[in-house]
Amino acid sequence: MSGIFNIVLPAVILVGGAFILYLISRICNLNNRTESILAILVLIGALLVLINNFKEIPNLIPSSDAHFGNSEPGGIILMPSALSIFIMIVSIIITILITIYSGEYLARDSRYLVYYPLILIVQAGLFGMFLSNNLFNLFLLTELTTVAASALIAFRFDLEIAIKAGFKYLIMSSLGAMMMLLGIYFFYRSTGDMHLTQILESPDNLTRIAAACFLLGFSLKAGVFPLHTWVPDVYGNAPSAISGLLAGVFSKSMLFILPVICLRLGMTREELGMYLMIFACFNMLVGSVRMLGQSQLRRFLSFSSIAQTGYLMFGLGIGFYYDLDQAFSAGLFLFLVIAIMKSLAFLASGVYQFYLRTQDIERLRGEGHRMPLIALCFSIALAGLAGIPLLAGFVGKWMIFSAALVTGDLFSIICLAIFLTSTVISLGGYLPVLIKQYYRSSNTEEVFNNPEPVRVSRWLLIPITLLSLLVVIIGVYPSPWINLVIYVIRWMLI
Amino acid sequence: MENYEWFLSGIIVIPIVGVLILLIWRKATKKQAATIGIISESFALAIPLVLLSVLRRNDQIVFSLPWIRNMGISFRLSLNWLCLIFLLTEVLVTLTAMIYSLGEETGEKNSNFYYALLILFSLGMSGTTLADDAFLFYIFWELMLLASVLLILIWGHGETRFRVALKYFIVTHLGSLMVLVCLITLFVNFGTANITAWMMQANSLPINTQVLLIIFFIVGFSVKMAIFPLHIWLPDAHTVAPMPVTIILAAAMLSMGTYGILRFPFALFPLENLQPFAIWMMIAGLISEVYGALMALAEKDIKRIIAFSSVSQMGYIIFGLGSLTLRGMEGAIMHVVYHAIIKALLFMVVGIIVAITSERDIQNISGLGFKYPILCVCAAIGVLGISGMPPLGIFNSEWMIFAGGFDSGVSIALTIIVLIGSLLTVIYALRFFGNIFFGDRKPESLPQKAPLALILPTLVITIFLIVEGLTPGPLLTWAMKGLASFIGGLH
Repeated sequence: MSGIFNIVLPAVILVGGAFILYLISRICNLNNRTESILAILVLIGALLVLINNFKEIPNLIPSSDAHFGNSEPGGIILMPSALSIFIMIVSIIITILITIYSGEYLARDSRYLVYYPLILIVQAGLFGMFLSNNLFNLFLLTELTTVAASALIAFRFDLEIAIKAGFKYLIMSSLGAMMMLLGIYFFYRSTGDMHLTQILESPDNLTRIAAACFLLGFSLKAGVFPLHTWVPDVYGNAPSAISGLLAGVFSKSMLFILPVICLRLGMTREELGMYLMIFACFNMLVGSVRMLGQSQLRRFLSFSSIAQTGYLMFGLGIGFYYDLDQAFSAGLFLFLVIAIMKSLAFLASGVYQFYLRTQDIERLRGEGHRMPLIALCFSIALAGLAGIPLLAGFVGKWMIFSAALVTGDLFSIICLAIFLTSTVISLGGYLPVLIKQYYRSSNTEEVFNNPEPVRVSRWLLIPITLLSLLVVIIGVYPSPWINLVIYVIRWMLI
Repeated sequence: MENYEWFLSGIIVIPIVGVLILLIWRKATKKQAATIGIISESFALAIPLVLLSVLRRNDQIVFSLPWIRNMGISFRLSLNWLCLIFLLTEVLVTLTAMIYSLGEETGEKNSNFYYALLILFSLGMSGTTLADDAFLFYIFWELMLLASVLLILIWGHGETRFRVALKYFIVTHLGSLMVLVCLITLFVNFGTANITAWMMQANSLPINTQVLLIIFFIVGFSVKMAIFPLHIWLPDAHTVAPMPVTIILAAAMLSMGTYGILRFPFALFPLENLQPFAIWMMIAGLISEVYGALMALAEKDIKRIIAFSSVSQMGYIIFGLGSLTLRGMEGAIMHVVYHAIIKALLFMVVGIIVAITSERDIQNISGLGFKYPILCVCAAIGVLGISGMPPLGIFNSEWMIFAGGFDSGVSIALTIIVLIGSLLTVIYALRFFGNIFFGDRKPESLPQKAPLALILPTLVITIFLIVEGLTPGPLLTWAMKGLASFIGGLH
């Protein structure tokens, strides 16, 4: 074992924290809120190390000994990249907010004992996936996160739909894992090694098949058309906090691991770019069209999430196909804002479900004046996702738009047209839901009638308000955030 | 930065302060909310007037603050003669609507929200006219749309307002997206969002790109102008909206499309590249004119009659723009102003009629003439105005538009048809007036007097219309100056 320990320290904190947290809460019989506070402390510890690593990027990345582990055969090497550190920072910040939220959200459940440790393990697994340079290691960590995530999805196992959703996620993810395993087999057969420290110099057919296997595996986890079918069932039935975590951060970040692996396995940038752009179009269209006419709130959000996966893929695809740094910045910025807005949307919808005990969209009618703040935040999330100016989504849209137009190529402009069509169609999905909150019946001025308001717990309000503020702040003054993203992209060494 | 440049930002900042006050002051009565609204709008009206003397010296006042540096986007406002005309029109209309609103029942409850949205609506329009940065322009452009959608949604009449508002939003948003495509194309090509900087360089774009941009811009803005067949949102939105909002929609917001066309395709590209589209714009103008007038003739709902008349009047404007002559464009700009005044007047009259009769079907209203003489006079002047009777405003502008049409050398026959088509306006206007004010009195029971709070602003606007019509001088000078600085290659 050699190298810089700081690189893996966050994962150590997360995994160690998970075990200790479980033990402590088992022994001391902690209540939900205490446990959530302890989990937050662990997350903050990991976050601080990550931020420190982020500051060190100029010293860390260019040097060849920025790794941790054992490079002998059978050993494991973990290497950080600016991108992975950035994505993990976003992921952990969102997770902290989700953990605060869970402090109240789980009030009616009893199994919080395993809930927080599992969240920590999912984070550690995600972090490990980004760091690993060894295919088998990657496979193991993917499995680890899958199992932890499906346990979280099926968290309310007294509900049949929750079990179904967890099972579906487990089966689909295992399919993806099988593909990865197959890929590993081909790669090992060709090279006799499982390390992937740099781009293969002479890819042969076997490694290219391996690349295709990994492409499929990660596409499945990201919910790329036509492997998206699990998305609505899973996000629709998992606890809102978990849906927010998975849809906002987890599955979207797969799109950033996918290129790293596939390129190193010998896929060309054009091929990858082409794949991403073409399937982005499908995702955008399928997501936005299926969004219309959904009656379940979270199912509706899941379809919008499929469309957003498409937007992200579109940005990255332009980046690879045309070798355009601007498109990468747009893609990464979009990742940031989607992570914020999507988790916000799921969290806010969770509050509705928590107090209304249903996720029927029709039941939202008029709730805008019973829970004004939640309705406002949910509206901000939906309007942001719809790309209304002065909210974060619009800046992302503007950046993707400019990236697609910079190329001046017909292919990207056709995709752009589909992107536009999708945004217009999805407006027809977002607006009615947004409006329904304020609109009970046809009586004039019903909007402002004030039936007895619902007192929303602060544990639920704080994360939601913070996320909404972020959406507005990024939308009004995006400069520093864009700089941040550009900085990360400059250090992105794929 | 000079002091007067900071003044310019007041047009944006003071209304925002007004909105904030209204949002905090939740218990404000309608009168109190209206006072705040009227005060902040008065500032927005006064500032450009104060800046007039500076404008005479400089022809342009620019206020600029850095905003998103790494994307070349700044908070940049500029006031010039062309903006001034549209800005003053828009603010005056909003002010009128706010005062008029005091006399009717819209927004009795939660007046603070109502007036805050009215201010935001107006802010969107003044921002659109002032913005000299594409990003900023689009933000204000969408603000205008959002505020109006909310106003229709919350205070609109009838069961259908949910669907109408959605349709209005999506159709006009489609137009906005076409504009956005153009804006980002230009932004990407020049690396900056500064519109004035674009004007220097736009001609360097390849001709194919220019043609595409011109098409997208004109079609995109035509949606806002409600040119046939892109008008589908207008009749419903105008009918469902409460009267003050209808006044702003019809009199002020429609003109933003005209401003957009002048500001972007006309100002950016040389006129010879626009030439191929001249005939199409003129034909679109003709069709809109005739279609709007025929629909106005066929309609029974008095609010819809006036709404369709907007489609018809916008036809004249796009026809004038399409002539690509100085006279035609000046005529179009003047038509925007006169149309705003007359449309506001007519909708105010309709509002009063609806208030006293509680009827909107023209067949159930008649013989109001002798009972309400002041209303009758105002309506008569509005109706004569819209039919182009001298000296009431529209006569001047139509004269110039037709002169532009004859000058353009595109097609004299087309201009003659439009001229004859304007007879339809006279027919529907007189039908409207004759049916309502002459004949047997219907409905039977009517209040003794029309509400004074509604009659007074109507009377003021009527007088204003006559004054404007008699003294077109300053307006014409401004329009000429504005066009001279904007449109290159005009003679």
